[in-house]
Amino acid sequence: MKIIVSGLYSGGNPQPGVGIVRSLRLGFPSATLVGVEYSTRVSGIHWGELDELWIQRPWDELDLDAYGDKVRGILAGGAFWISGSDLEAMWLATLYPEGHPNLLAPPAAALGRIAKPAVEAHRGLPVEVPVFVSTDLPDWDLHAFCRQHNWRVWLKGPYYDAARTPSWDSFVAVRNALTKVWSTDRLFLQAHVSGYEESVMLAAYQGELLGCVSMRKRDITPEGKTWAGDVSGVDPAFEAPLREMVRAINWTGGGEVEMIRDAAGKLWLLEMNPRFPAWVHGATITGHNLPALLVQAAAGVAARTAEPQGSEFTRVVLEVPVRPDYPLPALPEPFAGAIGHSMKHPSGLTMLAQRLHAAVPNGIVIEDGASDDNGAPTVPQTVLADVAAHDFAAMATPQFLFLESTAEDLFKRASDRARRLSDNQVQVASGYSIKTNPDERLIRLALEHGFMAEAISLLEVQTALQVGFRPDQVILNGPGKWWPEGLMLRERMHAVFCDSVADLDRCVAAIGAGKMSSRHVGVRLRTPNVVSRFGIPLDSPGTFGTLIESIGRLPQDTAFGVHFHMASSNIGVAQWWHLFESMLKWCSSIERLGGRRIEILDMGGGWFPDDWHSAENSRFDQAVERVKEVLPGVRQIVSEPGKAMAQPSMAVAMRILEIQEHEDQSVEAVVDGSIAELPMFAFQPHRILRQCGTSGELQPLGRGKVHLMGRLCMEHDIVAANVALPDGTQAGDLLIFCDAGGYDRSMSYVFGRG
Amino acid sequence: MYSAEAKSLANEQVPEPAKQRPRSDRWETFPPSWLSHHGGACCELAREWVIAMDFAQLGGADRASGPRWLRQKYKWGPSPWPMHWCEVVKRDTIDCGAHSALAHAAFTARGLTALPVQLVQSYSLDAADQWRGSWQAEGVSCHWLDGDHIYHEATGLLTGTDELRIWDGSAGSWVNPRQGSGYGSLVALRVFSDGEGGPLELGWGEQRVQVNSWNQLRR
Repeated sequence: MKIIVSGLYSGGNPQPGVGIVRSLRLGFPSATLVGVEYSTRVSGIHWGELDELWIQRPWDELDLDAYGDKVRGILAGGAFWISGSDLEAMWLATLYPEGHPNLLAPPAAALGRIAKPAVEAHRGLPVEVPVFVSTDLPDWDLHAFCRQHNWRVWLKGPYYDAARTPSWDSFVAVRNALTKVWSTDRLFLQAHVSGYEESVMLAAYQGELLGCVSMRKRDITPEGKTWAGDVSGVDPAFEAPLREMVRAINWTGGGEVEMIRDAAGKLWLLEMNPRFPAWVHGATITGHNLPALLVQAAAGVAARTAEPQGSEFTRVVLEVPVRPDYPLPALPEPFAGAIGHSMKHPSGLTMLAQRLHAAVPNGIVIEDGASDDNGAPTVPQTVLADVAAHDFAAMATPQFLFLESTAEDLFKRASDRARRLSDNQVQVASGYSIKTNPDERLIRLALEHGFMAEAISLLEVQTALQVGFRPDQVILNGPGKWWPEGLMLRERMHAVFCDSVADLDRCVAAIGAGKMSSRHVGVRLRTPNVVSRFGIPLDSPGTFGTLIESIGRLPQDTAFGVHFHMASSNIGVAQWWHLFESMLKWCSSIERLGGRRIEILDMGGGWFPDDWHSAENSRFDQAVERVKEVLPGVRQIVSEPGKAMAQPSMAVAMRILEIQEHEDQSVEAVVDGSIAELPMFAFQPHRILRQCGTSGELQPLGRGKVHLMGRLCMEHDIVAANVALPDGTQAGDLLIFCDAGGYDRSMSYVFGRG
Repeated sequence: MYSAEAKSLANEQVPEPAKQRPRSDRWETFPPSWLSHHGGACCELAREWVIAMDFAQLGGADRASGPRWLRQKYKWGPSPWPMHWCEVVKRDTIDCGAHSALAHAAFTARGLTALPVQLVQSYSLDAADQWRGSWQAEGVSCHWLDGDHIYHEATGLLTGTDELRIWDGSAGSWVNPRQGSGYGSLVALRVFSDGEGGPLELGWGEQRVQVNSWNQLRR
């Protein structure tokens, strides 16, 4: 009996081939085991239990038709083939879409039904698939997905590769890299699930489950791959539906269901692999030889029974002699001046992926749920109308555009919400963070809509007063609130929050000396589980004790308050609400231990506009009720939405100066704007409109291969990457970058203007 | 490793283990460790800090997640008893009794049912000698060592109606119910429950354990 085994890579992230060979040797001592590989750099070809080797040229060189004929001949000759590679299994399924008795790999339809990330075949299993979206969606929506999932997300390739993308710039970088490696834009973004990884390995032949075994990871590699595990039988509640699933999709071959068990015991399905896992021999030595079971079923030859040697396994590093017929190839020369040898995927698997795309465009199903509009975002009508109201003909660019009705609408909605949430017991107010955008028009809107003015310096206080705020409508915050010297108000302010114990002592002294007055004086708390440089720390009982002690020094004739602030757009929406609950607990402790009732709670901020304005009102209702419940002394809640008010209120208009088309089909368009006008380009996507030169229509840009290069002689001045310019776009056309009214405006700088 | 009440019960002279007696015999009368409270602001501040910090550290994760931050903040090692709340939070190193008491407080504050758990584990004479040296160097009792076996404390978490998970705060991990032999394995366990009407027997992995009595685990 001859058995071909592939997937012999045995590095830190190994394929299962060597484990399959070891298991088959135990089950069928006299079988002829043939290793097939596509690179002599794959160390598993030197494993001593292989009787023969069949080394092919790498996938990027292989004549797939000719190779397919050879494979057909081998199977027709009676040999069995166990694939240890996902992509090879997919290619084999193109040779035999309905399967072959000797091909111990899944048929094409079965592969389609386990395609990542939806794994449609899983329906009956007691698992749930973590939430995911296709990267075909507009960047605007992808950013929202990341925020909703607290930036605990994975960007995954269509077959292999996954990377945590905890920030927007890392997401963009990884997306570019994976797109290039796997020759496809069709990646997906999936929410992280925290827990312990476990797997079920199975073997099936023509729809009949032959065996399955459960493994929990006990030690992992830096990449998270199994290094050690314990093996046990599969829970009957899992095995029964698994058997049904195997039957329903007519599975043949090995397989692995990779899952995470969360703290509540729930199982989440990460993916199903169309092959045995790399730990396959770990199960064999615990008495579960699934490769042997598979061959036994296919060949009708009884395998030797596997004797369990324990219930756990671990890996060790072994050195084996290199076969003289296959001497080690030379290490590639490092690129001049570069570090490392760049040898990932030595067998050309990524090229196979590209060839599979071309050979079977519909043969590889990547569940997408994608939009049909090529990643073009939805831009609100109010924004379009505000943009259209500008006279661009006479406008020098780059130019910030104030979107008047959009801005007014934002302030009105915030004001309405605050009014609706207020009652006789607790007043809910909004605070306008002047630093977010000190444009007078926005500050005036804040005043007109009943906002407090939140200032972080005395200059900002002066700005608020100049627009018309009264001192008793000003909240002073931040570590530099005494700057510049000599401008501190003598009139009574609404609230002052101290950023440190030293700041608190200075405030107490100033109030005592009649140099400062405020209705509320309180403290800003440093977020204990999210890194921050602001506020009084809570990170040890000692610092907490210091805080409690210092609160006792606050004047008794001022009301006490607490402020906390963390950008929701950075830590994610759910995380922010957890922080809110956490802060209520700290406040409650502070009240009990410090003997001061909290009367004002000021909380922010950094809300992404969609998260703030579109959030269900019930979430805010609940928050107010929670404050009343936990802190019954609170009389005012000040909510600082931060950039949620300012960001949509302005856009940046710029013109295309030049369009350069390159040989590799990429396009670079130079614009007269730059990162000096869009300093937030690395932190958030901007919805971009192009004004059609003939019709004047505003067209949202979707995803494409155009890079918009800023005017500056700075290597990183790329204001947008991978966008599509509509047909007919030419030099002189106008581009409008929306969502630039927050820190893009306030942190923009003068550069390259002479 | 043990509470103030247990101190008087501890035999500082480690006897040779009798061949047939259950390995938990030596600790039959040991109560689980509890942190003492001075009844004043010092201990109240410490307790409030632990509870508030535990919730903060959850970061939105499931309430049943192990409070691993405690192990990150407090190394495992010898600590003197009795121990008060205001003392435990100031230490760099605390023993398993203190770890389990803190975890018990954290789980309970999260609204979960936490139960003190005592364990007997099998290690080696070499390991025991090392620990004896460390504990003696700190002038702390070594009553928890008995030949190649040790007394250990953890925190049980009730899930469902009668399912148990055991959080080993000193290790920062959940105890594996399937490891029944070898270095570090569990030999016996006792789960304390004073809840009236609570289950008398709990499921732990594939095993059933009686509450309030030592369970010798099958090997």
